[in-house]
Amino acid sequence: MSQNHLGEGESQTPTLRGGPGRVLVAVYAVFAIAATSRAAVQIATRFSEAPLAYLLSALAAVVYIVLTVALAKEHRILAFIACGIELAGVLIVGTLSLLDPEAFPRATVWSGYGSGYLFIPLVLPIVGLVWLLRNRARPGNIST
Amino acid sequence: MSGAYSGWVIGGALVLALACLITAGRNRPMGISLLAAVAVLEIALIVQAVMAFTQLDKVTERATFIGYLAGTLVIPLVALWWGKAERTRWGPGVIAVGAFTVAVMTGRLLQIWNGIS
Repeated sequence: MSQNHLGEGESQTPTLRGGPGRVLVAVYAVFAIAATSRAAVQIATRFSEAPLAYLLSALAAVVYIVLTVALAKEHRILAFIACGIELAGVLIVGTLSLLDPEAFPRATVWSGYGSGYLFIPLVLPIVGLVWLLRNRARPGNIST
Repeated sequence: MSGAYSGWVIGGALVLALACLITAGRNRPMGISLLAAVAVLEIALIVQAVMAFTQLDKVTERATFIGYLAGTLVIPLVALWWGKAERTRWGPGVIAVGAFTVAVMTGRLLQIWNGIS
């Protein structure tokens, strides 16, 4: 809505997928694939063992897919909502997995706040939200 | 699949990731040498996949193994496609992500191959 118009020559319009956003999309794509494959294998082979954990696993996969697409296709509001869900998810599932390790035997990418994935799942939504906010507040100053 | 060969693949992928990070740190876009390095990595990964496929009967977790194998082949190409359009330091950044992912996935392949999962 408050998109500034750039006057300086052919300066690049600020985009979610440009500059640092391009790396962000790449990381989200990797996690989308990782989480989707993990959830697919879990649900296909041993769903009855831990239905809740595996459904959360699938939810994580959906969130990562949505975010990859939303950032790549410049859907700001959708990306913002998905980032919020992602942050809530990693915090809630991370905490639950520590309180009740039996229910979450390293079952989702969010278990232990993403400790099995170098804690990237914990950092990623924060980076995502910062990127979305920064990109909105100061368009034009992204990449030099 | 040979542990020694895959070890070199992992090392090579990590070196490529590092080279990309250095390039990004020096604020350079992607050059021809990085493109060539990605091509070399892709060839090495194809060789690895062929070696693994010929001895697939040794693997117990076959579906997962094939999934990882396919992933290692596709990721450098997708990273190249996605990173090439970005003519800033963030282009090599994308390649760094892809190369690091390939290194991790090759490590997982080795674990599955050796029966540690």
